[in-house]
Amino acid sequence: MTDSGPGAPERSARVLVIDDEEQIRRALRSVLQAHHYMVDVAETGGEGLELAIDRTPDLIILDLSLPDMSGLKVAEELRTWYVGPIVVLSVRDGDADKIAALDLGADDYLTKPFSAGELLARIRAHLRRTVSGEASIREIRAGELVIDLARRQVTVSGEPAHLTRTEFDILALLARNADRVVTSRMMLEQVWGPDYISDTQTLRVHVSHLRHKIEPAGGVPRYILTEPGVGFRFVGDEGTAS
Amino acid sequence: MRLSRFLNAFWGIPFVIVALGAATAVMLPFRSVLHPAQVMLLFVPIVLWIARAGGVRSSITAGTLAFLLVDFLFVPPYYQVVVSSPVDWVTMIVFLGVALVAGIQTGRMKERENAAVQRQREIALLNRLSSRLVSEKSVEAMASFIVHEVVAVLGAGRSAIFVRTEAGTATLVAEAGDGPAGLTERALADWVLRNDKAIALIASDDVPPDLRPVSIDAADAISGVVADGAYVPLQTSDGLEGVLYARPLVGSKPAFAGTRQLLAVANVAAAFLERSRLGEAAAHTSAVRESDRLKATLVSSVSHELKTPLAAVTARVTGLLEEGEDCGAERVHSELLAVAEDLGRLDSSIRDLLDLSRLESDAWRPRPEIYDLGEVLGTVAQRIPVGQRQRVRFGIPDDLPPVRVDFNQLARVISSLVDNALTYSPEVESVAVGARVLGREMLAWVEDHGPGVPDDEKQQVFEKFFRGAASGVSPGGTGLGLAIVREIVRHHDGRVWVEDVDPHGARFVVSLPLEGTAQ
Repeated sequence: MTDSGPGAPERSARVLVIDDEEQIRRALRSVLQAHHYMVDVAETGGEGLELAIDRTPDLIILDLSLPDMSGLKVAEELRTWYVGPIVVLSVRDGDADKIAALDLGADDYLTKPFSAGELLARIRAHLRRTVSGEASIREIRAGELVIDLARRQVTVSGEPAHLTRTEFDILALLARNADRVVTSRMMLEQVWGPDYISDTQTLRVHVSHLRHKIEPAGGVPRYILTEPGVGFRFVGDEGTAS
Repeated sequence: MRLSRFLNAFWGIPFVIVALGAATAVMLPFRSVLHPAQVMLLFVPIVLWIARAGGVRSSITAGTLAFLLVDFLFVPPYYQVVVSSPVDWVTMIVFLGVALVAGIQTGRMKERENAAVQRQREIALLNRLSSRLVSEKSVEAMASFIVHEVVAVLGAGRSAIFVRTEAGTATLVAEAGDGPAGLTERALADWVLRNDKAIALIASDDVPPDLRPVSIDAADAISGVVADGAYVPLQTSDGLEGVLYARPLVGSKPAFAGTRQLLAVANVAAAFLERSRLGEAAAHTSAVRESDRLKATLVSSVSHELKTPLAAVTARVTGLLEEGEDCGAERVHSELLAVAEDLGRLDSSIRDLLDLSRLESDAWRPRPEIYDLGEVLGTVAQRIPVGQRQRVRFGIPDDLPPVRVDFNQLARVISSLVDNALTYSPEVESVAVGARVLGREMLAWVEDHGPGVPDDEKQQVFEKFFRGAASGVSPGGTGLGLAIVREIVRHHDGRVWVEDVDPHGARFVVSLPLEGTAQ
């Protein structure tokens, strides 16, 4: 994925890693420092909460299984004041805790084991959002897809795609949050507004129409992936790393 | 039989009095016209009838009483014991003799007949029990059958069977007859199991059956407790299996008086319980053996699959360390690529193991929701290693109906099949993923152009740890992938099979039911 801004993610942002496992802390510290992030590590939830207040990190990586308190509890307490992105680490796909963490305000999750490429892509995606702000992004490109956010126009392989207003809003929301999961609840709130009572079924119908218009033929989505039980994820060019 | 039991209980003497009184009342008006000998002759059948109904004791009572009645009321002078005529004396002595001898004989005969009938019923009971012994599987059903028979055939007021638990205590498995199981009953059964002693009724023929059956050992058992019935240990060569309890009908002389019959029943019950316990143990043993065998296979396969990539990683990394600073960045990079690949293999082995054990222990139940197959395939496509992605062609119809599945599980199924196809077919060959509706099923398939699966292996490929002999490829992996696929598909009430592709190759087809799929 590319955006109109300069290579902002590589500035020395501060990342706090809360994980009880020494090996993971060491590995993350080494990977993140190699990419010029400033890294703080905490072994327990309590320590993590203190460091979060102390150092005000730009992003927090939080393991859900901690010795002193549940990672969910940590996420919940962080969210009472912390506005930066929280990326949760979990052991398993479809882990109920993972979904609960998103509900409590975590922004994304990664399933262990993950590659450094995956982790860095997610961190960049989240920091880009906080650093550059949404207003400065005018155009998003991914594969054959070009989304002109200013003109509200979408082209696929150079051909214009005719999206409804709702479809465009959904696509724009997902694309601005490329490579991170967007929960159904968040989509309903952002696209329809907090007062509008709608359900995930309606959302799925709109996403399905949107897919028909922008996804390649063959019925298999390449840009908008379903995150079962959670929501959707827009796959930018970076997200293809595996 | 029922009358005689009833007479035996309390009413023997009054019955005799009433019967003789009635006969006397009928004959008394005619005593002037009847000769004492004729009266005596008429009394003989009555005494015999009483003997037949009441047994030996009643017949003696009746004979003696009839003798006195005749003497007192029918032989002049009336209302005196005195007998005036010597002829009458002779007649009366003969009458007494006949009444007693015939009465006793009849009574004995009747008692023998009763005993024979009872024995026959007992034999029939034992026959029924033995045939049940062979056919019955359930301990509860057999125990219930036994206690009902004890009540019906042996005339118990209540019967129960307790079996010995692993802790050695008694637990009630079946009961029949009146009244609930009291605490005493269980406590006494416990006592019997602990002490390996019977609690028996003293109820032989020479002890009059009274209202308070007494136990011999109950006094030792629990102070202050009087056993109200017999507790027979169910004994086998291995020890005690349980306790058979039988309480007589209140106030009756039970047919299991001597506990001989009860012992016979107890033996059958013990044999059944032992066989059932041994059968369970055997079934358990064979299950344990099977699971041991699988575990052994699992451990060997798994340790191999986990250790191989680990060994490779260790070798490469320590190799690089050995070379120290001299090794070029390019070499480090290529070694690390290989390490990453080995780690990926390690991860997928671990995932296979976890997934299968979660599936088999029912800890990974599907949470089905409505999805388009395309959504699932999108996730599958993302998981294909970048280098292999262009080999896989997805093509599904636009109008494919949605299907009710667990997203993660179906993605796991298709991913496994795609991985297999990529591994088992040559690098230059493509792999096709497709789907269509057939009747009320959705078929999804993964097709490769590798060597295919020989007919005799088409079933076996879904077995755990199965490795095809003919494929000629040694792809590694735990050998669990297709077993996981089959298990997940089964959880979705679907089917999975493999068929041939012309001219060569394999097509793995998953069929999922569309019924009940809400739009």
